Order: sequence, then structure tokens, then C-alpha cells
Amino acid sequence: MRIPNKIEDLPTSTNRFIGKEVERVEDRQLLTGRTEFIDNVSLPGMLHCAILRSPNAHARIVSIDTAAAEAMPGVVAIVTGKDALELTLPMQTVPEGWGTHCLATDRVRYVGEPVVAVAATSRYVAEDALEEIVVEYDPLPPVVDTEKAAESAPIYDEHESNVVFQRTFTWGEVDAAFASADHVLTEKFRWHRLGANPLECNGVVSEWDPADGTVTARGSFQSQVNMGLLSAGALQVPSNKMRIISQPHGGSFGGKGGPRGTIITALLSRKAGGRPVKWIEDRMEYLAGGAGQSWDRYYEVSLALQKDGTISGLRVKLLDDLGASAEGFGAVSAAKPLAAFTGPYKIPVAEYDLTLVATNKLPQSPYRGMGPPPHNWVLEQMVDLAANHLDLDPGEIRRRNFIPKDAFPYTIPSGNDYDSGDYEAALDAVLEMGDYASLRAEQEEARKQGRYLGIGLVNTIEPGVFDWNAYAIVGSQQTGVPEGATVGIDIMGKIVAKVGFSLEGQGQYTVISQVLADYFGVEMSDVRVVPQDSLSAPPHFGPGGSRLGVAITGAVLGAADILREKLIRVGANLMQTQPETLELGDGMIRIPGVAEAQIPVAQVAATMLARSDLLPEGMDPNPEATYVWTAPGRTPADEQGRAKSYLTAANACHLVLVEVDRDTAEVKILKYFIADDCGTRLNPATCEGMTQGGVAQGVGAALLEEYVYDDDGQLLTSTFMDYLMPTIYEVPMTDKKALVTPSPFTPLGAKGMGEGALHTTPAAVMCAINDALRPLAVKAHEVPASPKRLWALLNP
Amino acid sequence: MKPAPFEYAAPDNLEEVVSLLEENEGDAKVLSGGQSLMPLLNMRLARPEVLVDLARVPGLDYVREDDGLLVIGAMTRQRTVELSPIVGEGHPLVLEATRNVAHPQNRNQGTFGGSLAHADPSAEYPALAVALGAKLKAVGPDGEREIDADEFFVTYLTTDLEAAEVLTEVRIPKLPAGAAWSFTELARRHGDYALAGVASYFSRGDDGKVADARIVLFGVGATPVRATKAEQELIGQTPGAAVFESVRKAVLDDVEEPQTDVHASAEQRRSLAAVLTQRGLVDAARRAGISL
Repeated sequence: MRIPNKIEDLPTSTNRFIGKEVERVEDRQLLTGRTEFIDNVSLPGMLHCAILRSPNAHARIVSIDTAAAEAMPGVVAIVTGKDALELTLPMQTVPEGWGTHCLATDRVRYVGEPVVAVAATSRYVAEDALEEIVVEYDPLPPVVDTEKAAESAPIYDEHESNVVFQRTFTWGEVDAAFASADHVLTEKFRWHRLGANPLECNGVVSEWDPADGTVTARGSFQSQVNMGLLSAGALQVPSNKMRIISQPHGGSFGGKGGPRGTIITALLSRKAGGRPVKWIEDRMEYLAGGAGQSWDRYYEVSLALQKDGTISGLRVKLLDDLGASAEGFGAVSAAKPLAAFTGPYKIPVAEYDLTLVATNKLPQSPYRGMGPPPHNWVLEQMVDLAANHLDLDPGEIRRRNFIPKDAFPYTIPSGNDYDSGDYEAALDAVLEMGDYASLRAEQEEARKQGRYLGIGLVNTIEPGVFDWNAYAIVGSQQTGVPEGATVGIDIMGKIVAKVGFSLEGQGQYTVISQVLADYFGVEMSDVRVVPQDSLSAPPHFGPGGSRLGVAITGAVLGAADILREKLIRVGANLMQTQPETLELGDGMIRIPGVAEAQIPVAQVAATMLARSDLLPEGMDPNPEATYVWTAPGRTPADEQGRAKSYLTAANACHLVLVEVDRDTAEVKILKYFIADDCGTRLNPATCEGMTQGGVAQGVGAALLEEYVYDDDGQLLTSTFMDYLMPTIYEVPMTDKKALVTPSPFTPLGAKGMGEGALHTTPAAVMCAINDALRPLAVKAHEVPASPKRLWALLNP
Repeated sequence: MKPAPFEYAAPDNLEEVVSLLEENEGDAKVLSGGQSLMPLLNMRLARPEVLVDLARVPGLDYVREDDGLLVIGAMTRQRTVELSPIVGEGHPLVLEATRNVAHPQNRNQGTFGGSLAHADPSAEYPALAVALGAKLKAVGPDGEREIDADEFFVTYLTTDLEAAEVLTEVRIPKLPAGAAWSFTELARRHGDYALAGVASYFSRGDDGKVADARIVLFGVGATPVRATKAEQELIGQTPGAAVFESVRKAVLDDVEEPQTDVHASAEQRRSLAAVLTQRGLVDAARRAGISL
């Protein structure tokens, strides 16, 4: 198998497409409204589902009366927790045993928890029917305060407390490092709940076939295979009888993975005699009861610091509020920082004291980056505090602690390897782009006028190409994440690539087309990518964990290589020569150096399909090949959670200038510079878009987005009037510079890069705010730094 | 998020609108641009039996000048107001307030009268109407009447309009000649309802001292709040930093009970109103060429 790790090693004399800014193959359909999203799907006889949700944060269900709703014209099926108990298993959780059925069975544990689902002839009728359902609740005291959750009465009868997980991981001689430190700095931080909010919420159409017991679910699913396993498991349907079709969807960011909607609609379809049932989650459902909440964290962080600025140890104590169950990857998000625990720094030892508690809030879900955005902020904020403490420039202290560029691959204390990087180059690049000295002068001048400008200068690592083993500490068992592709050439010489994922926005179909067009010497328009459903696709996961660009490149290059060997065998027969004398290059099967001795790939492929008489004996006449890629060299975690997990380590340096208005507590972002290095850029335009989008979410995180629950566990931010997404007015257009340190371990040297800007922007903005506030002697150690919070800090 | 069932009526004359409102007293709701009402319907927070759409009633969509007043039909889209040459040339405070209303997409649909009749105390137009002393014309079963803006806004989302009355026209006086004006607000994001805001103007006599002043705050009470103490601080004074500072302090007294919510505390809103008033006066003075 030859999967090149450099673009130059592709069988083309010049790469016309890969590594170039090409128009995305997805865009014409998207921009002309031709893409079929789940709400466009309408099947014969289809019913519409509406879900009755709990108005209480914590209560026992005394009774449910659905008689009046059932009698309404147009209502076809109703399911409650009784059906869920009878026909389904609880949804899977990590760690195990902290979950519920798809509908509440005996008690509700958060506002927005599904209690009853109705299928009717229209969504209007279904919502009218919800109003006729009577649920009697016996309220229980809600557990809302995260810091008191451990002592509060357990919200699960089967558990003795609300502590889902508690362990301290120690990597190296941490006590000794702190004992011998010149300075020890300790600070507390709070990161409030926020999360993924894709433009399109979840949606699904499920069909239960009563004849053969199969289920087909179409929907806005991030990972087909995961959706299949999670929903089949709960529905007690054999995995090969659960067919998942992922429709193109309007973003996910982690919000399109939960199986609940699929399970509920499948149950309704079963009750409705197999009529398809559609559920389109609306924004209020999503905000209160969907997959939009992540990272509800209390941190206490300590640095062991030497006089010269060297950081000799890191302790992170994290209390994370998972909400009412562990169904949605909250625990996994707390484990993910192990993949880059000590950031870009050569901190030799570290400790992670991790406590996860259950409360009466919406269960956490994954969000772009999984866990590192808060972790990176507290680490970078500590580095700034260390710089202040020693009166060092924030750039200089970072420079003194960077892993040097000749030290790769570099093993960090928490066990993962970084593949490559040049962190000083990124720092130098932004200092130059932003003219750092002049920014400091501007800050100085402004202070004289009573204006508070602040500079944030932060560096982060983005672990790329996720692996399940990174989450072993909370119970994830697998090593490796296979991603497959089938590549074929038809009788007309056109190429089809079959993959196991749909459009989500990242432009992977474009990358596939770029790679294959260069590989086989054709135009991108000669390549078509065709998504397969969960049963017809090769093993796959789909988008997630800054992985798919690298993984699918590996898969199609592997398949192309198998196909190349086949084409050469046939070409050798046609040219009356030995396969070893032939190569694939520039779209030809040819003898290197002999100008006349070449046959177009298309012709060789057509020969396979139409001239069996010209094939080598015993040759399989199939110009198609499948390859399943998984990251090389991954290791299962040891007892301290240490594993070779994420394959790549992209890095970024952000420099931002903000102004904090002393009187109104308003924060304005004035300038923003980014240098980032994600190895080879398969499509530089896509990389830039990924970065700019991550900045948008990072600005939202730092300044705007927050789910607020009151003391009774009621969600106060239940619409977009109160949960504030950043808009184009709040997000700065950033100045960006691309650095390229290829990965030695990946197809074409690319690194995962889908999450990095969200890993970095909150830290950059928060560090800038704190730099602005320094003369006022207050610290903004809560995210988001909303005007309400800052105003309270400034007006004690 | 689908509305509860309702009857929909789209009459083509005002008489029918009024009689529908009268027949369904209390159970009917008037639909104009729908920017506030439609979400309330979809969230089932508003549940009228009958929705009376004004879209087909002719003659409610105009911007004109009449006897020195700016006259705006209730169904005039906010975007029409924004782009009106009459407004642009002679009514800068109306223009600036309009530019602060949500986003262009909302203004394309939202109406001038609809925003006033909805009476959200954080919205721009109610404060504008009070600041400029607008008169609001309503038609009901007993015919037409005119209501002073000061009296129109009763409390949160509540106006002086009777159940069967419909707002038809707003008559807005021009700013005094040479007046210095400002419209300032602070919102979490561009286009959001303001945490606090202020519409203000002052005019000077021949001696350069402030002869007349209006300061109207929004987002800090159940209705637009006339900052009368602050106005008194300004009147009779020569505009300048010291005066504006005492105006700022007076605003703190003018604001009674701002709400606390997830976006701002009551104290913060009070303080913001004061700071924005002060900054607005500085802007106003600068724009009017008054040296401070």
C-alpha cells in the first residue's frame, strides 16, 4: 500500500487541484437551494411528531392521561415512557449506567426532557394534541448548584450520589515539581454552559417495516454508523436491520449525534403500522432539550513556576456539571484535553483531578473541539498570570516554554504524541502581522486617556484525527476509527467515490474530488462523490474530531492505490509487458521514459468492463476498489489514561486587541491576527473558512453565549432572544497567515484542523480582556465575559 | 413551534377591522408587520381567537409632511421610514431611531405603527414618540381620537388603545430649529433590544443657554421614561462637561425600577442609562457644532 504523505508523491507531474483554492463541489447545489435537507423529505403517508416535554427540573411522574389527545382527529399514535420501558433499552451512556430511556419512565430530571410523543397528520395537529395530554407531576427538589451536587440527594435511585466520576490522574513527579518551584500560582475559573447551535436543528424521518422488522431512518445525522448502533441498541433491533441515511445537513458542531429523535420516531412508526414519522426539532426544543449544551465547568489551576519563566508543573482540578445524564458525551469532553493537556509547552509533569457530577439540567453534548476550549483558556490565562508575576512579556514567557521544533515527535505527560510543529514561527508571524510593539504603544497611549485596551496573545494545540482511546479514562473502549471509501472508474472513464457520510459543511467531497482528479489525471468534474447509507457504505464514522479530511484522504488514496495496481496489471497485458515496468502518471498507464508507451486510464478501465478477452487470466474485471483507513500507531490507554490518541497536532497563535469600556462594560474587538499551522492545506480556502467560523464561535463563547438556569432549574435562555449567538456584526474578520509544517504521519501531510480556532479564540479574547483590566486590579475569570458580569466586577 | 388554531381575517377597510375587533372583544389581535406577534403566536404565548390582518386595508402606508408635522401611516414599513427623503432631510432623530430598530430584514417587514402599538419598553419607537411629543391617531367604534405619546404607553406591552381601537396614524413634530439631538443605545448585539437607550435633544436660546430639553430613556422601565430631573439640570445651563455630568447623576434619580434579567442587572441598567445620556449629549453638542 502506497499512501503518499506528500503532495509531490502523487502520480501527477503537477498537482492541479489538491492544495489549491478550488471552488467547492458542494456549493452550487447549496447556493441554488437544490440540496435536500431532512425537512425537504416527504414520504407517502408520512406523519408528524411533536414531543411533550417536562416543565419541571425534577419530579416524579404520577400519571399520564392521553385519552383526549388520542381522540383528536388526525392523531394516529402516541407513545409514553410505558412504551419506552416495554419496547426499548435505556440509551447508551459514557460512563455506563447514567442514562434514561428515550421518554421519561418514572421521573423527569430536567426541563425539556421528553415525556410523551405524538404522531399526527400535521405538526400543527400534533402540537394541538400535546395540549390535551395531562401529566401529573410530584415535584422533587432540583439539584441545580454544581458545587453542591455531590452532597445533594441522588437524582438516580440506583446511584448513591450524584458523583458520576471522580479520579486524579498523575503524570510524573508532580508533587516534587511543585515543592521545588520558585513560585506556585493558583487561580479559579468558571466556564458557563454553552454549546453547538447549528443553523438547522435535528430532524429525522423513521419507518418501521412491520413485515420484516427493519427500520430505516433518514435524518440530519453526523455519524451514520454511530446513529445506527445507538438507536438499534435502544430499539433492540439487530444492527443490520437498522438502516441509517444521513441527509445533507445544515451544520452539526457536535449537535447531530443523539439517537433520541430516531428512537422516538421509530417507536411511533411502529405504533402507526409502519407509516413514516417525521420529527423536526424546533429551536426552542433544541435549546432546552437538544444537543446544544456543553462544558459547565469549575476550574482550579496551579502552575509550578521557575524564576526564569519555565513552567515545571501543571495541576488542573475540574468539576464539570454533566447535567441529568451521561448520554451525550459530556464525560468524553472532559477526557479529551488529555490529547493536548500541556498545550504547546514542554511542561514535564501534570495532574488532572476530574470530578463529573449529575444535576437537573440538560445533559451535556459534544461541541466543536469537545473539551479543550475551556482547558486552553485556563492554561493560557495561567501563563499570562505567570508572565505578569515575573514581569515578563506574554510572548516571551511562551517562547521560553515552547516545545522546540526539533523535538518532534514529542510525547506529552498525558501520553499523546505531537507529530510536528514550529510554535515559535507562529508566534513570530503574529507579532509581525500585528506589529506587536505598536499595539503595546497604542495600549499605553489609551491608558493615559482613561481607555482600557488589552492584548491577548495565546498559543494552542489542536489535536486532530480523533481516536476513541483518548476517552478511555471515562470508559471508551475502542482504539482506531476506521473510515472507508470505494473508488471506481466507469466504462466512460468517469470516477465515482462512495463514502459513508453526507454533506455537513466542511467540504470533504471537494477534497475527495481534488485528490482523485490529481491522482487519475482527470478534471474535478469527472469525479462524483456518492454517499452510501450505513449498510451499503464501507466501514465509516463520518465527520467529527478534526478527523475526516485526513481520514477520507487516506481512504481514497488507499483505494486509488489498489485500483492503480489493477490498472497496471491490465495495462501490462495490453502493452505486452511486465507490470513492474509500468507506472500510473498524469492519467496514463505508461512505461516511464518511453513517450509512446502509454494508454489512458479510462481506456484501461473500459477494457476491464468491456473486453474480458484482453484481461490477464483470472483477473477480476472490476475497476473499483475499497480501502478503509485508520490512524497508524495508536495505542490503548494505560491505567493513567495515557495513549497515543489523536494523530496530529496542529498549532495556532492568536493576537487580539480589545477595548473594555470602563463605564458600560462593553467589550469591542479592535484587531485580530492569526497564524496557524495545520500541515498541508488540502484546500486552503476551506481551511480559512474553518478558521473564521471557529473565531465566530469563539467570540460567542467569550462574550455572548450562555445557558442560564435559575435556582429551580428553569432555563432562562430558551430562545435566541436570550441565548445570544454571535452575528456578523460581533465577529471580526481576522488577518490570517498560513504556516505549513507537514505531518510526517498522515496522507499528504495534512493535519486535522476543523476545531482549532474555537480552541483558541476564547482564550485569546479572555486574555485580552484581562490585560485591559490589569490597571483596574480586577480579574475576569468567568466565561462568557458578558457586560453584566464585567459591570459587576467593575462596580463592586 | 406552531400556533394554536385561530381564525384569520384580512378585511379591506377599517370599518370592518373595527367591527371585527368589536365582535371579538378581547379575543382578537391586530396583525401588522408580525415581527413580534408571529413569534408569540408560534410559541403559543399569544392565543387570539381571531387574527385581524391589516395588510389589505388601503391608505395606511405613507410618509408625508402636513403643517410642519411628520405624518406616518401606521402600516408604513420601518424600512420605508428609513429610506424616506422627507425623514432623511428633516427628521434626523426619527431616522436615527429607525436605524437602531433590529435589522434591515426586520425593518422591511415591521411597521411603524406596529412597534408603537406593541409597546415594548425596550424598543426605539415608543421612546422616540415620547421624546418628540408625537400624537397617535386611533380609530374605534366611536370614531377617531388622538392620544398624546405621553399617555399612550401604559405599561409593558400595554397601551391606551381600547380593545376595538386600531392605531392608524402618527403625527410627529419637528425638532426645534437648531436643536442638538442624539439617539444612543447599548445592546448585547447589533440589532438586539437595548439594555438601555436614550433619545434626547436640546435647543438653545440666543444667550447660548439651553432653552428646551427632552430626555427619554428606554429599556429601564415599564414604559419609555421621561428623565424630567435630568432635563431640569440641563435647562437654563450652558452646555458643557460639568453640566452633562450633573445630568448623568440626575438620570440615576429619574430611573426608578429597571428590570434585572440575564443580560443586565437593574443597577447596571440605571447606570447605563445615565452614561448613555451623558454621551448622547456630548454627541448632540458636537453634531450641532457646540464647542464644549
